Amino acid sequence: MTIADEGQLVRSSRKGDLDAFNTLVQAYQRQVYNLCLRMLDPALAEDAAQETFITAYRRLSSFRGGNFRAWLLRIAANICCDELRRHRSRPAASLDAALEAGSPADVPSQLAGPEEEALRSELGRHLQQGLATLPAEQRLVIILRDIHGLSYEELKEALGCSLGTVKSRIARGRARMREYLMARRELLPRQFRHKE
Amino acid sequence: MLEVLGRFRHRRFRRDLSAYVDDMLSERARRRLEAHLDSCEACRQELAELRDTVEVLGSLPMAEAPRSFTLAAAPVAEVRPRPAARRLEFGLRLATATAAFALAMVMIGDFAGLPGGGEEEEEVWGELFSAAQGTPAAMEAAPVETPEPSVPGITDVPGISDVERLAPAVGADVSEEEPAEKEALEGAEVEEEAEADAAEAPAVAEEEEGGGLSREEVVRWLEIGLGASVGVLVVVWAFARFQRSIGNRP
Repeated sequence: MTIADEGQLVRSSRKGDLDAFNTLVQAYQRQVYNLCLRMLDPALAEDAAQETFITAYRRLSSFRGGNFRAWLLRIAANICCDELRRHRSRPAASLDAALEAGSPADVPSQLAGPEEEALRSELGRHLQQGLATLPAEQRLVIILRDIHGLSYEELKEALGCSLGTVKSRIARGRARMREYLMARRELLPRQFRHKE
Repeated sequence: MLEVLGRFRHRRFRRDLSAYVDDMLSERARRRLEAHLDSCEACRQELAELRDTVEVLGSLPMAEAPRSFTLAAAPVAEVRPRPAARRLEFGLRLATATAAFALAMVMIGDFAGLPGGGEEEEEVWGELFSAAQGTPAAMEAAPVETPEPSVPGITDVPGISDVERLAPAVGADVSEEEPAEKEALEGAEVEEEAEADAAEAPAVAEEEEGGGLSREEVVRWLEIGLGASVGVLVVVWAFARFQRSIGNRP
């Protein structure tokens, strides 16, 4: 999600306009929270998301223009990585919370009905477990690219690395996720299972 | 050979599949990969599975934020690294480099100087040791290359200062290398006296001046000191840099 007058809001925020900053928070809090949720345990995700916005406000002066969402997600990513290092934690059941709180608008329409719902929940759990097996840097890039839909340019900014590194991390992360999912093919939705 | 080459190319094409899914390959790389896909069933299968993986990941729902993360009050501004801190880091780097350079020079000089022992070289070393010790007493004791003190009897000559009499202690082993001095030593008794003087002198020197060290000892301590300085400076500099890198993160 982007907002039309983002640049103006950032400029006002830098001058100390808290309302302008809170408008940016409202626009991006869901993405930031979801990134934290997929990287950390649900109990830690909320605190990490809040810390992201506090840190962002404090460091607005270091924002040199460009993509504000990527800059914000980079802060969130750094906080998540610090948290992971600190707690050595792995997300275990965070997708349960994600699915419970998931917005109906985000759920693919073809996945309806109790059986499909149960399958989706099971698949979601396995996807989260699969993500948890990736090294933090690969997990981060897969979440940002394949779940949040960031472009490669945004990924460069969000991760602070070169395009080649971004490509390489995505390729390695996807290869691992492919292996993980293909070993659990029976959990995939019907449209994927027919290719067996 | 061809098989190995084929496997290598296959591996390279497999690496490109992810970028191909995102349409991030160059035109040339894309055409090459598509030509390979026409002939490689395994890569076609992997590409299809990769697309499924991306699609499944993309179908994951986004959770709603459990609460609003808006800020009730402006957080206290963060203390960012100040220019003074950056200057300190630069100073630390400079000091580290200087200490490392000095250590390298001392070590090179030490190795280069050991087998030689020419008069000119000794003078240079004497000055260097004096400067390194940095005490007035050491400055006075510096002329270790003077041959006179090595003659035992001269230490008893009235009018020669304590410092001058103690000089043989500093240059005792150096004086032994001088052939002229060896010739001056006549008879076993004289030699015994010389040894006795040389043995007593360091103790006196240490008691009275606290710095009567031989050239090798001075060089050794200089190297140890410089080495330790470099080590400490590198650690402090790395710590300062780490702190700054944390501060630089957005």
